Amino acid sequence: MSAEAAQSPKAQITQRIRIDDTTLRDGEQTAGVVFANDEKLHIARLLAGLGIDQIEAGIPAMGGDEKKAIADIVQLGLPLSVLAWNRAIVGDIQHSIDCGVDAVAISISASDIHIQNKLRKSRQWVLDSVSKSAEFAKKHDLYVSVNAEDASRADMDYLVQFAQTAKAAGADRVRFCDTVGVLDPFATYERVKRLRDEVGIDIEMHTHNDFGMATANAIAGAMAGSSYINTTVNGLGERAGNAVLEEFVMALKYIFGIDLGMKTARFREVCEYVANASNRPIPTWKPITGANLFVYESEGRAGGVLRDPTTYEMFAPGDVGLQRRFVFGKYSGPSVLRQKLRQYGRELDEVQVPELVSDLREKSIALKRALFDEEVIQEYEDLRRLGVNLWRS
Amino acid sequence: MAIIETLQHDIRLVDVTLRDGEQTAGVVFARHEKTRIATLLDEIGVPAIEAGYPALCEHELETVKAIAEAGLDLEVGAFCRAREEDVEAAARAGVCSVLISISTSDAHLQRAFGKPREWALERMSKAARLAKRLGMRFTASAEDASRTDLDFLRQYYEQGLAEGADRVRYCDSLGVDHAFGIFDRIKQLKAELTVPIELHMHNDFGMATANVMSGLRAGADGVAVSIAGLGERTGNSSLEEVVMSLKYLYGRDLCMDTKRFREIVEYVAAASSRAVPVWKTIVGTNVFAHESGIHVDGVIKNPQNYEVFSPEEVGLERQLVVGKHSGSHTILYKFKEFGIELSQEESSEILTMAREMAVDLKRALFDKELMYVYRDYQQKKARDARLE
Repeated sequence: MSAEAAQSPKAQITQRIRIDDTTLRDGEQTAGVVFANDEKLHIARLLAGLGIDQIEAGIPAMGGDEKKAIADIVQLGLPLSVLAWNRAIVGDIQHSIDCGVDAVAISISASDIHIQNKLRKSRQWVLDSVSKSAEFAKKHDLYVSVNAEDASRADMDYLVQFAQTAKAAGADRVRFCDTVGVLDPFATYERVKRLRDEVGIDIEMHTHNDFGMATANAIAGAMAGSSYINTTVNGLGERAGNAVLEEFVMALKYIFGIDLGMKTARFREVCEYVANASNRPIPTWKPITGANLFVYESEGRAGGVLRDPTTYEMFAPGDVGLQRRFVFGKYSGPSVLRQKLRQYGRELDEVQVPELVSDLREKSIALKRALFDEEVIQEYEDLRRLGVNLWRS
Repeated sequence: MAIIETLQHDIRLVDVTLRDGEQTAGVVFARHEKTRIATLLDEIGVPAIEAGYPALCEHELETVKAIAEAGLDLEVGAFCRAREEDVEAAARAGVCSVLISISTSDAHLQRAFGKPREWALERMSKAARLAKRLGMRFTASAEDASRTDLDFLRQYYEQGLAEGADRVRYCDSLGVDHAFGIFDRIKQLKAELTVPIELHMHNDFGMATANVMSGLRAGADGVAVSIAGLGERTGNSSLEEVVMSLKYLYGRDLCMDTKRFREIVEYVAAASSRAVPVWKTIVGTNVFAHESGIHVDGVIKNPQNYEVFSPEEVGLERQLVVGKHSGSHTILYKFKEFGIELSQEESSEILTMAREMAVDLKRALFDKELMYVYRDYQQKKARDARLE
């Protein structure tokens, strides 16, 4: 297929979309990240507070503390489904049953790369494992998601067979895992659409961000008919992370006009908690929740927003728990200056504006950063004193 | 399957770290840093940069001039609003090309400026003519192109071409395009325009790079990128993501010295006082760190199981980390690296101890700590033997 021949799908998202958040599983699986059990419980509560439909709480087969944390989360009785992650091994699923979860993910690789180089088994062995483990889980009345690991690199015909096998074994959905993050939205759409059309089972998207396309791919999956999206708070996850809960929810709402009814005003709070618990601070420029997103410095942007926020904002800062601020820096001009003076109840003759702007820019360049408000006001006071003195002499 | 689509047409990158990157609230580069970044971009093979905004102030003008006169191979351009004084300042800075930028959306023109569409056309034309008269090439840039009426956008670009534009730029200034939307818009523009189209995508919803790729699939000819995606609010599509995606997902090697990506990203991070998160796409130190049993086992057997390119290609190293999610394979492998051959039984007992320690410390273990665990294990074994 050449670029010229490609067509964009005209699909609309009409199915109900549910979020299955895996911060507690794939998020914690990130190299170097360990949540304390208390933190796991608190994150589960926060996610329930946002209005998440399902959480992936951990891996019971790891035993010990992990198993206890999952059982404790179940005991909280939160208004969401608690799912546990398992290899396609009956013993793993037994551990999940012990925890009392209502849903399980049963994961096994679907690509030849993994089947040959990692599992060192045959395609048939994989299908048999899917059947055996899914049937076992269904016998115990669990909701079952069969995860096709590395689905993006799997042979498509085989992937269809894999999903059919899962369906025949009673699975409720199949998770499409772009384990190494190598798809783009077009490729994602094509694969997921085919899976959905040919197998007729619910599909869940699990996308990784290795090339920066995880959220876009999750959306492409939704457009192809996926009804579950596997996200994490802050995108926390292996390597470059996963599709980001905040990005997905806000993109769906503001780009596609689909409101999942989440309490997005609590995003910043939830993201901060997970950032602290995972010891990974939120960069100021993080999409949706970065502290810098509603901070305006440059004259063009600040001027536009001061006239009408919709010139540069798709949603209000309060929608995600942030605030709008203006700072004077190298790229600032009269708009930010006037806003600062207004904010601090100072007045300035219009003819003096260019001079003060130029002074402040120089200061910002010299300090190699934006100025604190106090510094702006100090510069204003200095200029005024100087002006008065000149007039007197 | 690694390549999902082959892109064969010419794709030209222009790096805007020194302009849009510096325009980020709070970021100011020193002159020395700007010239260093320009030099680094030149060395890795970036063909063009936007060096700054000369009309801003004399200091900036002098900085851009210093870059323009540095004898670099790359094309040094400058940012201008669609105003004659901005173009004059760029000419004084000695650049060979300018970006002439003005908003084209009704949301900006009418609501923010109270001006009709024609005003944008006139302003751009006036600035463009002056640029030509002063011997500079120019790109006609449409700010907020993603919210601009498509017919008017086409008209704006056609007028740019008529004034002699080398190329035109499509700015998703608010980062609100999505993969299939941008594809359709670029495709429709390409169908009627002969002038090359350059994409400038913002990352407000985390989709900048995906949008770039869709635009390129639709036939766009160039991309404005920045190092580590530095730019206003959430930033731009990043140089590293675009170059590596093109190479590994679209079979298109732009022949850049990607081995220096980590080095360059670190330099810009230091100059902009914005640390590189460990999970940063392509260049984060965690991108090649593997902890969970399944992943480590896979990587040891064959890196291809979980890696699309090798860490050295972007100046990183692979790390196998021992933590809560580790498996016994990791322990065996790690100790082999230390020159210690463990039995299966030893490794699973050490694993249990290491996991407990990681849970207790709420983090992964350093190699040194792993050795402490080993020592504890040996002492325990010796004690047990004595007791028997």
